[in-house]
Amino acid sequence: MSEQAFLVLTALAEEPLHGYAIVQAVEQLSEGRMVLRVGTLYGVLDRLVADGLAERDREEVHQGRLRRYYKLTDSGVRALQAEVARLSANVRAASAVLRGRGVQPWTSRA
Amino acid sequence: MDEQGVSKLERRYRRLLKVLPKWYRQDREEEMVGLFLADRSDDLDLEHGWPGWGEAAAMLGLAVRTHLAAGAALTNVPAKAMWRGEIVRALGMIGLLLGVFYAGAAITSLSVAYGNPEWAPEITWWRVLELGPIVAFAALLTGRRTLAKVAAFAPVVLAVATVGQSGHVFLWGVFQLPAIVTFLCLCLGFHREAPTPPARRLLWWGGGALLLGLLGGFATGTGLLAIALITLVVRVVAFVRGDFVLGRAVSLFALLQLAPLAFLLVGGEVLVLALPLAVLLVLCAVAPVRKPSARPRVS
Repeated sequence: MSEQAFLVLTALAEEPLHGYAIVQAVEQLSEGRMVLRVGTLYGVLDRLVADGLAERDREEVHQGRLRRYYKLTDSGVRALQAEVARLSANVRAASAVLRGRGVQPWTSRA
Repeated sequence: MDEQGVSKLERRYRRLLKVLPKWYRQDREEEMVGLFLADRSDDLDLEHGWPGWGEAAAMLGLAVRTHLAAGAALTNVPAKAMWRGEIVRALGMIGLLLGVFYAGAAITSLSVAYGNPEWAPEITWWRVLELGPIVAFAALLTGRRTLAKVAAFAPVVLAVATVGQSGHVFLWGVFQLPAIVTFLCLCLGFHREAPTPPARRLLWWGGGALLLGLLGGFATGTGLLAIALITLVVRVVAFVRGDFVLGRAVSLFALLQLAPLAFLLVGGEVLVLALPLAVLLVLCAVAPVRKPSARPRVS
């Protein structure tokens, strides 16, 4: 799973979101590292929908503009769970190695 | 703003969205325009602002992925877009096999030249670029797409570098046009969402092409005829098996080989090989393809 897909799934796990809200949520979740372009976002959404991990939800008109919401499916929740388990295992392994070298695995942010 | 209250910026975004296929735009245009304009509310920006380069590049990427669709990555794709994607990928693959054939021939002719002081000028360091297709083929089958595209670019570099050197436009055209089109097909067809080609089956094809090239390197001059004959055989097999994608791709491939030939024949240049070659390639290009009854298999 790409980091983009992972972050979009994470954003949708909280609640159904429309495109703009997904872009904002992903930027927030990645602490500003990832700003999705429209072309990229829809590529990711198309793939998630085709894989059955996300689906279209309701549509709303906001200030004369169409907003289409997307939500996570049950298999999307399971896919996210599996990815979290995989990443956590990697983090645990890397942390153990760092501790073995006498280095703190987490650096505090300035 | 015009009389309908549509800003210039919105019109510019809508123009950008025209790179997407119609079927995709019909479904997504309004939603996308809303997203583009969501945080651009400044009047000056609405009048004089433009879509950014990054947005335009991302949109072009999406356009390639939808025009040359891979079925597994999208829902409700028209069969036409899926066939188109499959055919471009197949054409890229066939072109790459031709490149592997030439690379094999280059290995043989260089080894022969190596033992012969008369041909020493034939050996130059840049001829290593001729081996690019072998690297590209292996990289593509193992899913290393960027490497595959870079390696497939090597023969294009050679083509451009040698355009002035070779006095023979005929040979130059026949040899280099496929390399250029192959490179384009690989770049466009094997996008992020395209499936990795079936390695086991293609390995046989790649091995065969390399072996034929190694052998063909000994018999200079017969390579073109051999390629035309093989093209015809594959074309017949594609028809008998009802393989629409392979059939169309081979037809395009034959046209590609035919273009420089036609150019020469019209120009009045007569070559002994040209006529039988042209006949074989025209046969390949115009041979019928069975219309597919269903959509391409989704992998």
